[in-house]
Amino acid sequence: MRVPVAVKVGAFALFVMGTYTYYANSIPQIQSKPPAELSLEGGNVTPAQLVKAGEETFKTKGTCEICHRIGQKGTRAPDLAGIGSRAGKVKAGQSAKAYIIESLLQPGAHLVEGYPNIMPQVDKPPIALNRSEVWALTAFLESLGGTVDVKLDDIPKTVGAGAAGGGATAELKLPGDAKAGEAIFTGKGGCIACHKAGKIGASPVGPDLSQIAKIQTPDYLMRKILDPAGAGTVAGFPKGVMPPMFGQTLTAKDYMDLVAFLMTLK
Amino acid sequence: MALAVVAFLTLLSVLPAVAQDAAKEPAYRAFPLIGSRLAVWAVAQLHLNFAAFILGVPIFAVIIEIIGWRTGDARYDWLSHEFVKLTFAAFSTTALLGALLLFLFVGYYPKFWTYMTSIFFPTYWVYALLFFAETFTVYVWYYGWDWLSGPRKGIHVGLGVLSNLFGTAILLVANSWVTFMISPAGIDESGALKGSVWAAINNFTWMPINIHRLIANIVFGGTIAAAYAAFRFLGAKTDEERARYDWMGYIGNFVALSAFIVLPFAGYYLGREIYAFNQTMGITMMGGFMSWLWIIQAILIGVLFMGSNYYLWLGMERIPGSERYRRYVPIMIGILAFGFMVWATPRSMVITLDEARAMGGTHHPVLGFLGVMSAKNTAVNMMILTTFLSFVLYRRANRISTKSWVGAGMIVQWVALGLAAVVVVFYGVYGYFVESMVRIGFSVYQVLAVLGAIGVVMAIDIPMFKGARSTGTIRWGTIAPRSQYVLILLAVTFTWLMGLMGFARSGIRQHWHVYGVMRDSSVDAVTPAIGYAANMITIVTIAFFALVMFIFWLGGLGEKGMAGGSGHHAPAPVFAGGSDADPTPAPSRESTGGRSPQRS
Ligand code: HEC
Ligand code: HEC
Ligand code: HEM
Repeated sequence: MRVPVAVKVGAFALFVMGTYTYYANSIPQIQSKPPAELSLEGGNVTPAQLVKAGEETFKTKGTCEICHRIGQKGTRAPDLAGIGSRAGKVKAGQSAKAYIIESLLQPGAHLVEGYPNIMPQVDKPPIALNRSEVWALTAFLESLGGTVDVKLDDIPKTVGAGAAGGGATAELKLPGDAKAGEAIFTGKGGCIACHKAGKIGASPVGPDLSQIAKIQTPDYLMRKILDPAGAGTVAGFPKGVMPPMFGQTLTAKDYMDLVAFLMTLK
Repeated sequence: MALAVVAFLTLLSVLPAVAQDAAKEPAYRAFPLIGSRLAVWAVAQLHLNFAAFILGVPIFAVIIEIIGWRTGDARYDWLSHEFVKLTFAAFSTTALLGALLLFLFVGYYPKFWTYMTSIFFPTYWVYALLFFAETFTVYVWYYGWDWLSGPRKGIHVGLGVLSNLFGTAILLVANSWVTFMISPAGIDESGALKGSVWAAINNFTWMPINIHRLIANIVFGGTIAAAYAAFRFLGAKTDEERARYDWMGYIGNFVALSAFIVLPFAGYYLGREIYAFNQTMGITMMGGFMSWLWIIQAILIGVLFMGSNYYLWLGMERIPGSERYRRYVPIMIGILAFGFMVWATPRSMVITLDEARAMGGTHHPVLGFLGVMSAKNTAVNMMILTTFLSFVLYRRANRISTKSWVGAGMIVQWVALGLAAVVVVFYGVYGYFVESMVRIGFSVYQVLAVLGAIGVVMAIDIPMFKGARSTGTIRWGTIAPRSQYVLILLAVTFTWLMGLMGFARSGIRQHWHVYGVMRDSSVDAVTPAIGYAANMITIVTIAFFALVMFIFWLGGLGEKGMAGGSGHHAPAPVFAGGSDADPTPAPSRESTGGRSPQRS
């Protein structure tokens, strides 16, 4: 019996695709899991679970440890040990819970003595925590010396809802050329004399900038370069050391390239 | 089809209302059984396959129609008509799949769709109108074939060109949505449109994907047409039929091959723009969890190169006089095989961000990435040169130039090819000794050398073989049947490759609907591994071919019904004539300036 052409061609096509499929299944299989984003809304969570989730956020997505430490002074920010009890005494009439939430969402509203206003709003890029995460984080901070009493409803509904999907890290596209910016950093700008940035530079005079894009907005970086004192002096570092005249010595292009480069440091 | 258009338009007009209600709506609904992701994946890919088909085939049909018109060779006109018929049959399926896709988005991803609508709503109208315009133009193009023949042929060709312009415009609009999801632009921090929608349309990856896709679609159209011809060839009862479909397959493959050769360049451009938009995304793509995907891509591309060459070599056997060139085949196989191996060599397997940084010796992984691509550039350029050589040899297989300067001409040609090869290899090797910044520039020289050589060789070849003495006519239809399986292999491989790249395009966003702006918080946020994706691609590809076969079969039924009627008869393939190997316009045969002279 003659095999119909359609059958032969079909079998051949299936064989070809089968081979590709087999091969694709035989090589290492790697999935891409979304970074765990906490969603506790609607679920029943115990305070202990909440605190644990908050601690996790503190260490990972929150990137808080780039500035803060618990039990010692951080690189750029105050020691957070005991914040749970201290928080209730900062402003008369403000509970610990309210102060902590305010510190996270409007860090500039009250500045800790001796520290500049450099902490980013945690629900905005680059940190961009969602509502659940802010809730858990508050619980964690309360647990450092205080009592955990925060409810989801204490966190404003607008938190983390900025971008349509929540938890956004809107990738801003800067016009500068990061490669050229690196050259400014090591050359003309002379930043390398005082800063470390990943593999380049080692100077401890100014803060380590290796992860600066994780914790700071382009806005801040731009301000800091033009007006170091006006942007606030990073705690633990001497005032007036970072030169104030970059606004004069760098061209507009140098400046944009430099910022673009700094934004790659994460 | 009209129905589909109406459904589509109705849907569009209710969208704003849908958008308003969105606040009360859930972000996701679950598609029964297979889940929303698989449903959207399958329908989107099928829609894309069909869209590519109805975009690519007419481009190719109009080129052929023009050739037929200018040369008066009725075969081309018949072939063009045949292809428009195939397109026509696929039109309504495309529209239906498009409408289905829209339903899936609106129903199962309402929040996502509301967001997209908030940005792109004006373009929906443009899309619908363009679709309407294209449908209409193709309609007139197809049904006006006889009416607009003879002295009115120019108008007819104009219609063909016009429908292709509409088709391409549709592609550009749809691409703006897809590329926005990859590389959003023109929006503020909260994701809302800042200025005009143009900024969102003209995002980083829009142009590169437009170019890459347009070319890929032409290749696709060509391979599918060739596979169709192969299928008919294998089932042919008479020598005449075999001859006709052999020729048709050859032309389909020729068009596909010509476009295929430029795809790698377009691909590199696309890759580079993705890096420029966001390095993390670039690294995810080439060095991150997707790195294995490129190995498979390389294998598929290798199969495509090998297959096209093999087809040309087999084709030579039906050309008397080609024996002279057989001895080059082993050398060409060698170059192709070697090039293939280099191309498939993994360079950057899964690496962390830090490793990627270390790789280039700088903080700029873009340069690092393109740097290691130096060897691959070299390999792919050599494969292109070899394929071109195959084609040149094929072209002259049955012809002996009668020009006095033939010796000199040949020498110049070989020198041009040789020089190009030397330039390509030289810069490939030299690339390892210079900084990555310099190295990127090299790939431009390589491409220029290859294109230059192609230009020089063809510029000499065409006059050199004009009026050449024939060593015998091409015996169309006598090609070995396995060559037809090669054509089918090419079509299947290319379609599968499209599916794979579709996965790459969407997977690269990982857990984002719109990268960095709108997160995928559904149960399907995990991006699956390559094996899972491959299974899916195979299923979709099978479904695609099954649908296509069905549609063609339906078309065939109609044809049979009309047998003896006033259908378009295929002109008998011309068996004589030394220029048969030459798909470029041969100086006029009995010129009629229009439709088939056989028609009464
Ligand atoms: C760019 C560095 C930086 C980052 C990142 C940062 N902070 Fe801060 N934070 C500061 C500075 C500086 C202060 C002190 C000035 C002020 O009160 O705003 C501060 C103050 C605070 C305070 C008030 C402390 C007090 O004693 O009153 C809290 C609470 C706090 N941060 C929590 C966090 C948490 C939680 C995170 C992670 C989501 C975080 N911060 C990330 C720099 C940072
Ligand atoms: C003479 C040493 C010196 C030079 C040169 C210098 N800086 Fe600084 N920089 C510092 C010091 C000290 C600080 C911390 C005190 C402060 O905030 O002013 C700092 C702080 C910063 C910060 C804030 C870091 C943070 O953690 O918030 C940024 C950003 C920065 N510098 C960028 C630059 C750039 C870019 C250049 C080159 C154009 C540069 N600096 C040149 C000394 C220097
Ligand atoms: C020989 C070289 C290449 C061939 C034959 C090829 C082929 C294809 C095909 C057929 C498609 C599908 C087009 C469609 O769906 O309409 C595609 C898409 C794509 N290609 Fe390539 N490609 C090549 C090189 C590259 C390179 C070098 C890159 C990047 C480094 C690349 C990146 C992509 C991406 C991201 C897509 C998805 C875009 C889309 O949805 O259209 N390609 N390619």
